[in-house]
Amino acid sequence: MPRGLSPIAFLILCASFALPAADGAAPARERAGYEGQGITLSVSVRTPEQVVAFYSARGFPENAVRALAEKCLVTVGMRHRRRDVVWLEPARWRFVDAGGREVRRLDRAYWAQRWEALAVPAASRATFGWTQLPESRDLLPGEPVGGNVVIEPPAGRFRLELRFATGADKRGPALRAVIEGLSCAGGGAGGAGDGGEFPP
Amino acid sequence: MRAIPAVILLLASWAVAAAEPPPGLIQLDGRPAPALKLADLDGRTTDLAALRGRWVMVHFWASWCGPCRREMPTLETLAREIPAERLGMVLVNTAETDDEVFAFLTIVAPSLSTLMDRDGRVTERWQPRGLPSSFLVDPDGRLRYLALGGRQWDSLAYLDFLEFLTARDSRPRPAGGQ
Repeated sequence: MPRGLSPIAFLILCASFALPAADGAAPARERAGYEGQGITLSVSVRTPEQVVAFYSARGFPENAVRALAEKCLVTVGMRHRRRDVVWLEPARWRFVDAGGREVRRLDRAYWAQRWEALAVPAASRATFGWTQLPESRDLLPGEPVGGNVVIEPPAGRFRLELRFATGADKRGPALRAVIEGLSCAGGGAGGAGDGGEFPP
Repeated sequence: MRAIPAVILLLASWAVAAAEPPPGLIQLDGRPAPALKLADLDGRTTDLAALRGRWVMVHFWASWCGPCRREMPTLETLAREIPAERLGMVLVNTAETDDEVFAFLTIVAPSLSTLMDRDGRVTERWQPRGLPSSFLVDPDGRLRYLALGGRQWDSLAYLDFLEFLTARDSRPRPAGGQ
């Protein structure tokens, strides 16, 4: 970190590396990222086609695949090279649409209820669970993590505001990053999908 | 003659270095490993409890997971480098079908076999931090190390450490308080 800058000031960095939207039938490609303060983030928004292809290929029931494809899956990969613990807690993140409204994140409890209602088999629930980011993880130095976060698809572009507590007792300096210019399929320019691994 | 103490010192420092887990491998508290008894693709059952007396790597994976795919060939090399009598290798596939696993393993790591956790419940019981996850279980059946994410098991750092760890005279001291 440059001297003279407070950790918070230095950490409020935005990264927006979205590629221009593709024209025509070709799927748009988009991957946003952030690198700083010992963490590297990559964020990709998945197309419904990718979601359907991935979960159908793993034998998910049609109604479960449909339920997922109606939502917006955001794949987040993170690598951590700090010396202290970094807390991964998606509940502390905010997805905010272009109008400043918070976008609802659909957490594991939501999906557990949904799968129960749809009578989704245990194997599919297990696989779904492992493709999601954990709700809380004390990331140790050098520990990579990757997975999906599911949100209600916002109408247009949205941003992701990430916050991370640090230190085993969460009393270290808070890390913040903002990733701008994301969009779900049908949510305006941009779109989703980078042809990368799903999930990372 | 002066060179002899230097050599001894060098060997001693190498031994100490080799005993230290490489980055990405964390020490656990030595609690007993959860039960693990599953069948492989051919229906042959493996019970972790029956492997007492040697170190065992318990590795959770799925073919859809990118780091798992990259890591698997390095596990195959590791299995070749350290004999199974010293380091048992127990792979557990999490909640995939026979077809998915067969199609993957026969291409990526044909000499490895995996147990099938068909509904994912055994994996849940072990509470890995994600997929892939590798636990090192000591000869007394206790959890000693956990790998953070996918690791390059065929690298010198890991091979040296595991060689040292699984050498006959390197059994861990009895766990305290567990």
